[in-house]
Amino acid sequence: MKPRIYLIILLLIIPVQASLFSALSLGGIKPDLALAVIYIIGLLTGPGEAALAGIGIGLVQDIGSASFIGLNGFTRGLIGLFAGLFGKRVLDISSPSNFILLAAFSLAEGLFNALFMQAFYGYVPIFSMFFTNMLPQALYTGVLGILLLRFISNRNVLSTLRRHAFQKEL
Amino acid sequence: MPEFIVKHKKFLILFILFLILFWLITYQVNAGRLTFMEKPVLAVSGFFERVITSPFRFLESAANGYVFLIHTERENGRLKEESGQLKLENSITNELLIENERLRELLGFSKLHPPASVMVQVIAKESSPSSRTITINKGADDGIQKDMAVIAPAGVVGRVHAVLSGTAKVILLTDPGSTLAVRVQRNREEGLLEGKIITCALKYVSYYADIQEGDLLVTSGLDGIYPKGLPVATVTKVTRHEASAFQTVVAEPAVRFSRLEEALVLRK
Repeated sequence: MKPRIYLIILLLIIPVQASLFSALSLGGIKPDLALAVIYIIGLLTGPGEAALAGIGIGLVQDIGSASFIGLNGFTRGLIGLFAGLFGKRVLDISSPSNFILLAAFSLAEGLFNALFMQAFYGYVPIFSMFFTNMLPQALYTGVLGILLLRFISNRNVLSTLRRHAFQKEL
Repeated sequence: MPEFIVKHKKFLILFILFLILFWLITYQVNAGRLTFMEKPVLAVSGFFERVITSPFRFLESAANGYVFLIHTERENGRLKEESGQLKLENSITNELLIENERLRELLGFSKLHPPASVMVQVIAKESSPSSRTITINKGADDGIQKDMAVIAPAGVVGRVHAVLSGTAKVILLTDPGSTLAVRVQRNREEGLLEGKIITCALKYVSYYADIQEGDLLVTSGLDGIYPKGLPVATVTKVTRHEASAFQTVVAEPAVRFSRLEEALVLRK
């Protein structure tokens, strides 16, 4: 993808997620825009580029949310890498299975982070977090991902994002 | 070997990057969170957050001003009734305050000075998997400084973490980096409340401490950030382990952060 698209994503991902997506919050649960974007980059470009994009977006999120610098970069880089690998070999951009895969990535990331916090900060209510936070957010992110994929399936949008070597068949 | 490196150069670079990130995380676990590049990122995101939220705020105020006028009369009646009740309570409280000040003076205690406050609006809510923060629409230009307490009518929200000229980042109670000194209102038992992403937990509470579900935790004022006596959280679960000298106490914050729109920053 073109560098200027990455620049726009890096500049806008935090403000859009934190302000605009607050309006989409249902019972305090918001879809994870950054995760959906990294997943889509994985489908469109490939593992290497998506992993780098994931690391970049994750690091910007870490810095902007006063989190551990590198935690989101690490998990989101891995998600980009795997999304790229799956996208290259298995998935079609218009396949409904993207919903399941995106929700699974979101859930895996939530569990990883909860276990990390448990390991280093002691007690974290993982069981209640799984049902009240992680699972609804994973499903919500899956829905958002499908909607975004529908939007970019439009040939004009896709041609803007296109990078000839990795373009998948519609 | 060099052939392998050349062939998989891209993935080796990625592998090294992941190792660096992993080292960075483990380093911060011991040394505390880094604040590298925080101000430039906050400046950019704060600017766009204000731009994005301003049309929504305009529409919201227009809707509140015109569309919902139908409820105004009923609301007005309710507020008048509430205002009368509050005036009565206020005069009783003032009497108690004067009496309290007089008694403090007699005992040689210093005078109580209620802190000045700044009203702020929440313009963004960030919920990274390992942190819970919000952005407010006022910053250093309005006298806001790092480590000032942020409260809402229901209780404590958190503390100011980073300040820019027009915005500030606030760490919520549920953020794992947030710790505050609290006291059980019922029996004055003390403890340290730590954020646990969706709830909070009392740290190092002795096995024998008398803490029950439903107990209200209030600020003790010992941390030097929050004034004494503000509601913080309600105890929801107490677990005692035979093998441990401590008990696990989980508490639900008094403020519903998902519905938080305005707050007060207490000036030092």
